[in-house]
Amino acid sequence: MTANDEELAKDLGLLSALTIGVGTMIGAGIFVLPGQAAAAAGPAVALSFVVGGVISLFTALSASELGTAMPKAGGSYYYVNHALGPLFGSVAGWGNWMGLAFASAFYTLGFGEYLATFLPLPALAVAGVGLSEFQVGALLAGLAFVGVNYVGAKETGGVQIVIVTLLVGILAVFSVLGFLQADVSTLRPFFPAETGGATAILPATGLVFVSFLGFAKITTVAEELQNPGRNLPLAVVGSVLIVTAMYAIVMVVLMGVVNWRQLGPEFTTTPVLDVAEIAFGTVGIAAVGVGLLTFAGLLATASSANASILASSRINFAMGRDKLISDRLNAIHPSFATPYRSIAVTGGLILLFIGIGDVKVLAKAGSVLHLIVYGLLNISLVVMREADRPEYQPEFEVPLYPVVPVLGAVTSFGLIGFMDRIEIALSLVFVVGGLAWYLLYARGQAEKTGVLTQYVLSRSDEMPPAAVSAAETVQPDGGEYRVMVHLPTPDDERGLVELASAIAKQRGGTVDAVHIVTAPDQTALQYAADHAEAFEENYHETLDAAVRDGETLGVDVETHTIFSHRGFGEVFDAARDHEADLAVMGWDEDIHGSPGRAESALDDLANDLPCDVVVLRDRGFEPDRLLVPTAGGPDSDLSAEIARLLQAEHDAEVTLLHVTDERHEGETFLEGWADSRGLSDATLRVETGDVEAAIERAAADHTMVIIGATERGLLSRLARGTLVLDVVDDTDCSVVMAERARERGVFERLFGD
Amino acid sequence: MTDLITGHVLVPVADPDDARATAAALEPYHPDRVTVFHVVEKGGGVPDKTPVEQSETLAAESLVGFRERFPDAELATDYRRDVVEGIIEAGDRLDVDAIAFRPRGGPRIVQFLAGDRSLKLVTEAEHPVVSLPDPGSEV
Repeated sequence: MTANDEELAKDLGLLSALTIGVGTMIGAGIFVLPGQAAAAAGPAVALSFVVGGVISLFTALSASELGTAMPKAGGSYYYVNHALGPLFGSVAGWGNWMGLAFASAFYTLGFGEYLATFLPLPALAVAGVGLSEFQVGALLAGLAFVGVNYVGAKETGGVQIVIVTLLVGILAVFSVLGFLQADVSTLRPFFPAETGGATAILPATGLVFVSFLGFAKITTVAEELQNPGRNLPLAVVGSVLIVTAMYAIVMVVLMGVVNWRQLGPEFTTTPVLDVAEIAFGTVGIAAVGVGLLTFAGLLATASSANASILASSRINFAMGRDKLISDRLNAIHPSFATPYRSIAVTGGLILLFIGIGDVKVLAKAGSVLHLIVYGLLNISLVVMREADRPEYQPEFEVPLYPVVPVLGAVTSFGLIGFMDRIEIALSLVFVVGGLAWYLLYARGQAEKTGVLTQYVLSRSDEMPPAAVSAAETVQPDGGEYRVMVHLPTPDDERGLVELASAIAKQRGGTVDAVHIVTAPDQTALQYAADHAEAFEENYHETLDAAVRDGETLGVDVETHTIFSHRGFGEVFDAARDHEADLAVMGWDEDIHGSPGRAESALDDLANDLPCDVVVLRDRGFEPDRLLVPTAGGPDSDLSAEIARLLQAEHDAEVTLLHVTDERHEGETFLEGWADSRGLSDATLRVETGDVEAAIERAAADHTMVIIGATERGLLSRLARGTLVLDVVDDTDCSVVMAERARERGVFERLFGD
Repeated sequence: MTDLITGHVLVPVADPDDARATAAALEPYHPDRVTVFHVVEKGGGVPDKTPVEQSETLAAESLVGFRERFPDAELATDYRRDVVEGIIEAGDRLDVDAIAFRPRGGPRIVQFLAGDRSLKLVTEAEHPVVSLPDPGSEV
């Protein structure tokens, strides 16, 4: 993108951003919830709103910093996924999406309530389920909102600003008139005994928290903001402050005019209108007042619902981009250019939730899910700050770190505790569901690891082993090609890392460098881990060198120090644990390890390699002229593959050698073999006579020989020193031996070969 | 038939499938130079209906799809509210000889909801506009 395009893409100013936040939030708190809220805590519910605002403020500050550092579509979900990895990302993504769906259903139901005040909507019974007239209205409205988004109708530029300005204006007039009419005595007792006095404040905050679900939405459009470093925090924090003030004022006015007991749902579904009637009635325009507030109610709930549907498709897009859900959900409609499937699915959920019908349940469900996400968001901020990556450069920084994010996380999670058991249960269901989704599906798809996981793994020696093994276990697996390389000493390190890196780089994968520190049987491994230096001085030297070399070669190198009694045999368990696709090892006397135990382990290995294995006899890593002797078979397939990868990476010349007495058949075979393995431009060489002698002769002209194991059990024989392949000893160049992992069927495993 | 569309042609496309189909439709006419054009639809003060990043990815993938038949095709993009306006303005800016597109067709209501773009393009453009039939028809 040119600088020009970037500016064109950013067309939202501060006012637009503010109105997105304010417009979404106003809908709930003032127009839908005041009755329920009043019934929950009496006049003290105004304090509940203030508490909600304070809690939101912590998260708003954290979200602002994360938003200016990473302005990407998807907002809160993206930050959690980036910082804490796809495990928590799945929880946050689903939580955010479902939370928005519940909230949208809630707003739409509110719309239905206002609609029913002047439209004669029928109550219906559909398939044995009774739908109130509010639900009917909501369903119709829901279909309309979803339809508008599906077709992609665009509001004209200033409409959002006009809507919100209008709403604020109407509410201001309403507040003034109500205030004049207010009778302060109805506000006493401030902490009524029927609701439980002051203890009712926090549960009520849980109920009304849905009124604050809008500021985070601004971060979902961060990439379209002008001057995000300044405007994002202003818009996010500003909208929370404005909205909190409005809620408190309006609630006090409402309860000042009408006794709070009369505002509850048993009396009216639209308390605001009742109060409006009285307030505006004093200046003789009661009908106008009711009309204005009805209009405002419809407008507010509609804009909230609409904005939520829009936001949910962005979360789906972000999740799809991270491969946590199928990208098919994000397909763009050929004519309408909208993410129609995502909108349709979200719309379906919203209609379903409307069927549930109870405003309170929907509000609390929406609140709970968002509280989980906000808690995770605050934790993400802490992780990003601690990991301190160079690319993390927020233009806005949270004041009083770490107090703000810690309080944000504590209060967000804490508020869940004050809600009813059913909502807590619901939140647990979603958390477990998100985790299950990750473990069963997303883990195999996702490729990106979170900053947290990378941080833990890169300092795996300093971290508690439980944390490291947890981080390793939940790592996403995404089908990336992993090359594990065993590095016994710093001397051999270079050649092995070069070989491993060349292969990994060509395959677009990563290198897993492993160093084994052997402890005697009598020593507990934990002790060895804590006193590593005593067992091997400078034990980290080899791995550090590997990381440095990896960087030079342009490959990501992960390091693991393994403490073991078994020495060399541990390598294969590690390959299995880390799900390596290829293991690279050096060949020298050390790999014999201790006899007895190593032997039996290696015997098993002969038949059950965890992955492809490549052994390097390093006499200087110079992949200029490669010799690949072959007689067919799966192991020479692997050596052909390696030759091809080295050719691509280092521009090597490749010669294929086939030794046979039938020269003509040999040439035909070799040509076909070369073609089918992507080596058609290699030099073909067919010779007769003794195989080993021919190889030695040919090797004289080359810098590296890549040879497939001629029989199974290459490694066990290597380790035991019984390998009879003189070529390895008699040539001057480096030798790479390759053995392919064999798939063993059940029959073979039970009855042997 | 083959020299009917020469010179520099601007080809608006919406997505990779549209790009491939349009390339197939354009191929028999062998234009000299092709610029593939994609408009990222912006809300202009309100959030966009599709995230910008997603639209940009779409543009890049459309070019790849188009290049299957026209390996030298170039890509131009614009960010604006009105797609047709963007196409017309691009025609001016890039000094093309003609605009060639594949009309979407579909039921009347769909065309209406999508904004009647084919109609607008044909009636408001300042360059010759060529509507490409699907390659199944006579060449």
